[in-house]
Amino acid sequence: MTDTNKRPLRLAVDIGGTFVDALAYDGTTGAISLNKASTTPAEPAAGVLEAVEGLAGDLASVSAFVHGTTLGLNAILQRRGADVGIITNEGFRDLFEVARAAIPTEHMYNFSYAPPPVLVPRRRRLGVPGRVDAQGQVVAEFDDDAVREAGRVLVEEHGLSSIAVCFLHSYANPEHEQRAGAVLREAFPHVSVSLSTDITREYREYERTSTAVMDAYIRPVLNDYISVLESRLRERGLSDPLHIMRSGGGAMTADLARTAPLTTVLSGPAGGVVGAGYLASELGIEHLLSFDVGGTSIDSCVIVDGEPGEVHEASIDSFPLLIPIFDLRTIGAGGGSIAWVDDGLLRVGPHSAGAVPGPVAYGQGGTEPTVTDAALTLGYLDAREFLGGKMDVDPVAAADAVRDRLAEPLGVDTAEAAASVFRVMMARSVGALREITVERGLDPREFTLLAFGGAGPMLGPMLAREMGIATTIVPRVPAAFSAFGMLMSDLEYEFSSTVLRSLDGESLAGLEPLFADLEEQARSVLAEQGVSGEQGRLVRRVDVRYRGQEHTLGIDLEPHDGATTVLDRFHELHRSRYGHAMDEPCEVMTLRVRAVGSLPKPALAREEPADGPAGAVGSRKAFDLAVGALAEFPVYRREDLAPGHRVPGPAIVEEGTATTVLFGDQVLTIDAYGHLLVNAAQGGTEETTREEHS
Amino acid sequence: MSATRAPLDGATVEVIRNYVHSVAEQMRRTLVRSAFNPVIYDVLDFGISLYDSKHQLMAEAAGITHFLGANDHALVKLVEYVGDGAMEPGDVYLMNYPYWSGAHSYDAMLCAPVFRDGEEGPAAYLAVRAHWMDLGAKEAGYVLDSTDMHQEGLIFPGTKIVSGGEVIRDILELIRFNSRLPDATIGDFHAQLAALRTGEERLRQVWDKFGGQIVEQAIDQVIEHGERVARRAVAALPDGTWSAVDYVDDDYVTDDLIRIAVEVTIDGDEMTVDFNGSSGTVAGPVNLPIGSTLGLAKAAFKGLTTRDEATNAGHFRPLKVVADPGNFFHALYPSATFTQWSAIVAFELVYKALAQVIDTLPASSGGDEPGFMALGNDPRTGRDYVVSNNEGIGWGATRDHDGGTAQQHPSQTTVRNTPIEVLEHKAALFHEKVELIPDSGGPGRHRGGLGVERVVRYMAPGEVLSMKKKSKTRPWALYGGHEPEPSHMDLWPGTDQEKRVGMYRAWMEGGERFANRTAGGGGYGHPFERAPEAVAADVLNSYVTTQAAREHYGLLVAKDGTWQSTPERSAHTRSESGD
Repeated sequence: MTDTNKRPLRLAVDIGGTFVDALAYDGTTGAISLNKASTTPAEPAAGVLEAVEGLAGDLASVSAFVHGTTLGLNAILQRRGADVGIITNEGFRDLFEVARAAIPTEHMYNFSYAPPPVLVPRRRRLGVPGRVDAQGQVVAEFDDDAVREAGRVLVEEHGLSSIAVCFLHSYANPEHEQRAGAVLREAFPHVSVSLSTDITREYREYERTSTAVMDAYIRPVLNDYISVLESRLRERGLSDPLHIMRSGGGAMTADLARTAPLTTVLSGPAGGVVGAGYLASELGIEHLLSFDVGGTSIDSCVIVDGEPGEVHEASIDSFPLLIPIFDLRTIGAGGGSIAWVDDGLLRVGPHSAGAVPGPVAYGQGGTEPTVTDAALTLGYLDAREFLGGKMDVDPVAAADAVRDRLAEPLGVDTAEAAASVFRVMMARSVGALREITVERGLDPREFTLLAFGGAGPMLGPMLAREMGIATTIVPRVPAAFSAFGMLMSDLEYEFSSTVLRSLDGESLAGLEPLFADLEEQARSVLAEQGVSGEQGRLVRRVDVRYRGQEHTLGIDLEPHDGATTVLDRFHELHRSRYGHAMDEPCEVMTLRVRAVGSLPKPALAREEPADGPAGAVGSRKAFDLAVGALAEFPVYRREDLAPGHRVPGPAIVEEGTATTVLFGDQVLTIDAYGHLLVNAAQGGTEETTREEHS
Repeated sequence: MSATRAPLDGATVEVIRNYVHSVAEQMRRTLVRSAFNPVIYDVLDFGISLYDSKHQLMAEAAGITHFLGANDHALVKLVEYVGDGAMEPGDVYLMNYPYWSGAHSYDAMLCAPVFRDGEEGPAAYLAVRAHWMDLGAKEAGYVLDSTDMHQEGLIFPGTKIVSGGEVIRDILELIRFNSRLPDATIGDFHAQLAALRTGEERLRQVWDKFGGQIVEQAIDQVIEHGERVARRAVAALPDGTWSAVDYVDDDYVTDDLIRIAVEVTIDGDEMTVDFNGSSGTVAGPVNLPIGSTLGLAKAAFKGLTTRDEATNAGHFRPLKVVADPGNFFHALYPSATFTQWSAIVAFELVYKALAQVIDTLPASSGGDEPGFMALGNDPRTGRDYVVSNNEGIGWGATRDHDGGTAQQHPSQTTVRNTPIEVLEHKAALFHEKVELIPDSGGPGRHRGGLGVERVVRYMAPGEVLSMKKKSKTRPWALYGGHEPEPSHMDLWPGTDQEKRVGMYRAWMEGGERFANRTAGGGGYGHPFERAPEAVAADVLNSYVTTQAAREHYGLLVAKDGTWQSTPERSAHTRSESGD
């Protein structure tokens, strides 16, 4: 690691759909500064460099650079990855196409469903001899020549440059996959080879195959990008390693990202979750819900004691991926969602106006009112200040569309129709958030809400009212909070292995060599990333279930934990999640080792307390949900608010890239770090909340 | 509730609808995450429904489509049997009496009435139906040859199993002592119970937030809305009466084909589906209780009319289902019903009738859910195992596209197959092959999807149950398309014992094999009219062999993907364009 005193600037860059957010943290002054640039899909590195340019011309002064990219995700969603071939066991070439034979739930009643073309056509899927059984025993020998020949067909006849390899039961014995990898790499050195067990050691052959295929699909694209970006950053003086954000939190070096590209696919939203976990720890918040609102979707994650929920399976466009990710729930509703009247019922979504034509107010041909149009109609957003005044919008056209398309068919006035758009959107959000809290056995009212993303601060206090949540926190620079989270990341990597054995004292001891093996891999990866002994930390975890049950619960292991301790923890966790525990034998399904390499992080900086009352810079009429009517909302500038200020609702706080809206039954305070805290006014807790968080 | 009350505004109704629907989803998540048997957690074989005080469906969670419809009937029967007045807060009832529950005896429905303070009788009912592993039928696994209900396991007609929040130990012990797999069965019971408790708690929160009466009123409006949407959809269909006939293989007691027939009448905004032209009830266990018939008809109707809407009772109001007692589609006690998946074969019959006038409807899928079950003792662990797999089939081609390949039957689209690695862990089985079957898709201008071949070897002695209902007759094609080969299982393939079977139970010695082969979908339109590029691509991908390309499509396809028409195809093209 580097000497942070000499080069105190830390940078995080997050590429979104429309903008690149670059955030700089100055280690000497504690100042955080943001710069935005347009996303440049044709040449993604250009947007990153432009965004960085505005913050630090010479990157020699940068001590850490963390980057989150949606490049891999977009390659999958837009079908712009590499042409891939599959090598698998003889007799099983169709596993990728047969899949789980289900059709997407949203089409469950569509009995003439037409599936999309299969991503890897049948002629590019080849089987080779060799077979391992469920115990990992070799029952048919591996054949080097057959693999070489299959590779030749894929590379020479089909012209492919990326191959995925997945064999049955390779999680139990990866030897055949490793040999296939060696044979292919030797015979075709410039072909990219993705082995399923290099990415995951978990069972279920379709899911593992899909994981390997997606890896093979994005690897060439992502590698090119990282290489270009790295060399352009070096040209500008960056001497420290470039770090890439992982989907499951933590960052890794660019070198490691090149070997494990799939772990980056959901890195964008991961930044926000890491930031939320960090704030929850720093502020001592036991139960936090992250609420990240963008243009087309809302991402939310449950964070308990600073630890975001995790899962070990993701799904992108119906492709399962066995990679660790944050347990995010995505709601298909955002600023661009279209509101419409369906035979007397008001619906919001599922269609989105997207960036083009966009909301009616953008004047780009949109005719159907969106959530953004409703926000302009109600005065929550100021047309003159839209995106910091960088964009012209037409609030009159927005209100007209709300009137014609919604208010008239519903038989209500325009303001009520626009307010109703938010009621429906909130109902959808509440439903999704209840679903993720019920899985943790928790009540959403026990949570604090952390609202960020471009539209999070506008919707957060509204959602909190709807859900009965006492406090909404709006962090500093909420529109770039994902980048903030990236600044707070450690280096992380996870290793796992499916074992499937009963849980008793003997078996726990028997797991020791397996754990030792995973830890050795973990240590060597940390070493490759430049983490020395004392900066590295390894955490052991076992996934436990009742015998015969499928879903597991993760139990952290402390050194010297006996089977009884582990079982007690499992029963207790099962009871809290599902309301019951059972007197049944338990088994260990998966061992996990998480390697964490601490990176120096900025501490939360305290702000100067207020030296006078908060002063509004103006006011505007907006719809107050507390009274169900238009009211005068004083407008504050965020930079004018300081710790100690207390602003009763209704009120609006503007900060260029985000607008916080609180209502007549809410009150705003500022904590010691400059966070906005919106509390329920009648709860009587707002003062104490501020004290606790200070 | 007063009839003159002003209607709620469209936003409030939509808000409440979202909240109530989310209760069903929260129940589903709880069930999946705490279930014990893979048929629930992996195959997703369950149905969750919420009803209001008038026994109307408020919301459902994604699950087996015909389970969902069957829950509606089961609830009505439960209330008749127990009586609303006898139900008390904290009670849970268990029903698996087939003639009421509308499913076979191993599909256990748990139902919880939910009460509101100060109101008489339940204000809502929550139902969770899931497949249990064993309830003590005459044999382990599925019963293929029962001839009355009493061979099909322990029956609960709507028995209180939880009273005032406490599980009644005597009932649970009765289940434990009657099940061959008590751990899994009791575990799944607890998972269903956890789902009901979640549902009750979350529904109460919705009532507290909006007020119980307001929620009732909103749900009434949601249901009225659903009815309007469904009626409009029916009104858009052509008026008239159309009929169709198909066959279920046999009842496993005799070898006779069983005639299933439907007459579909569309009259304005109403549809009648009449099964009375079908066979009477038969001796073996393939008969349908009326609840199953209602479930299948509702699911098929929903696909035709409101497939993208979250389901509520209103969607089914324009539908009338006719099947007289004693009909194959309305079995009475004590008719055997254990393998009543004949409902799956009957499911597409409504479409077959209407395809005569609605040209966007698909040809038949493989027509069945042609799975298998395996049982035995695993010498590696010494434990008994029961595993099963629902195999994908080809779907029928449509006017606009080829049929999907290796998809679950349309009646259970959210079900999944069981991973090979899970099967081989749980059971002493070894897979030799899982591949698509070339030429299994019915040829046509649009081709039917392909079926799947699965070859499995027993590592130790055990049993195999081949579950097929349509192996003797072919799935239908449309408008000149060709019919595919039906599903079947080949026992001991490649040996002199080789035997082709449909529904069958066989003992396998260690080292012996079966090959399960599922049907593709029916073709649509004349195969000579299929684009040559599409045929060539199919040949390059080995979906279609070169012989079949020549024989069915009239194309000689070379290794490099170039093609040449046969004289027959050219003549067909000339005669078509000459018209």
